[in-house]
Amino acid sequence: MNCQEFWNTMPELAPEAEAAHFEHLQECCACAALLNRQRTLASGLRMLAADWRCVEAPARVQSRLTAAFLGQAGLAAPRLASRWWVPVVTWATATAVVVALAMFLARDRQVVPAHRTTSSRVQLAAVEPPADLEMPGDFSDADNDFIPIPNAARIEPNEDLDLVRVEVPRSAMIALGYAVNEDRASEPVEAEVVLGADGLARAVRFLE
Amino acid sequence: MTPNLPETDDELLMRMRSGDEQAFVALYRRRQAAIYRFALHMSGSATVAEDVTQEVFLALIREECGFDPQRGTLSGYLFGIARKLVLRHVERGRSDVALETDLEGSALAELMVNDDPLADLIDREGIEALRRSVLALPRRYREVVVLCDLEEVDYGEAAFVLGCPIGTVRSRLHRARALLLEKLSQRWHHRPSAMALKPIRCLI
Repeated sequence: MNCQEFWNTMPELAPEAEAAHFEHLQECCACAALLNRQRTLASGLRMLAADWRCVEAPARVQSRLTAAFLGQAGLAAPRLASRWWVPVVTWATATAVVVALAMFLARDRQVVPAHRTTSSRVQLAAVEPPADLEMPGDFSDADNDFIPIPNAARIEPNEDLDLVRVEVPRSAMIALGYAVNEDRASEPVEAEVVLGADGLARAVRFLE
Repeated sequence: MTPNLPETDDELLMRMRSGDEQAFVALYRRRQAAIYRFALHMSGSATVAEDVTQEVFLALIREECGFDPQRGTLSGYLFGIARKLVLRHVERGRSDVALETDLEGSALAELMVNDDPLADLIDREGIEALRRSVLALPRRYREVVVLCDLEEVDYGEAAFVLGCPIGTVRSRLHRARALLLEKLSQRWHHRPSAMALKPIRCLI
């Protein structure tokens, strides 16, 4: 066995050489020295690996990832997770609000004919919102026109709110105390809906 | 009564994908250290290693890279993502790789005088010098040493991670070890103790 054959057949850094390899090592000091150096290097690499065996990522990485996982799974901690789903949820909620308002108004409109009297241009009755529905923070100013939605939860002072612009039938304004011309009740009107941290509508402002 | 065998990575992954937090935590704890060490060995930066580890598992959470158990192991898949992310970090110049600049004045300077420079590898300074030598290897050789020698990944999985044939892994590893021997020998010969014997003026 020559040097080339030795290195071609020698398992890399094998702890034990076969007989043929052993014979070559006895004959060739250069190969024996090189093999010895390689084994020392392998030993050093094993020591380095063992030395680093306890090295691991800081605990904060697991905390962040667990929060992200829970957010991704829709279980909790949405702020720490990817927020790609926020617009989807927001728009879905807004759509639900519009549908709920439309259904609410459709129910109310069934009784409207009973109140008709003389004119086709009757101003429908306005209802004042309950006095105990307070609008704290930015939504409590008298000039911002936001109206609390009846039976909705109160907005907490530091609550995370979203503002969504939607289009609703003008008749939706009746339930919130606006006077609406009956002829224009089916026309669309733009409104801004305040969504609470739970995704439910808290207040609305009509833009026209 | 049958003993409770630890769940495989694939089983944990399936549970994780159905929203099981415990499965995710178990999988993370099982695999994070190797990924972190790989990134640390490759980049030389704890910050990069932390970022890479986080991004690897975020990719797994978001199922962005489409792991397919038919194509390889989860471990190899995670190493593969980590490798790409480390390369991206290094290319951006965000890595603070410490190469050879401070070697000769610190660890190697204190190494004992010895006929065989590799004998130094048995002590802590020698191990640190070896780590720095690994870090100073060209990237293609560094990654095979880190994967195969330090993280004990088998050649087949290393080939999957690196996207090359097993023969290439073997040849790179062989070359990498030769380079390491060469670097360690060169450094030993450039130590101050060896330099002190270098003549400064010829008198005859």
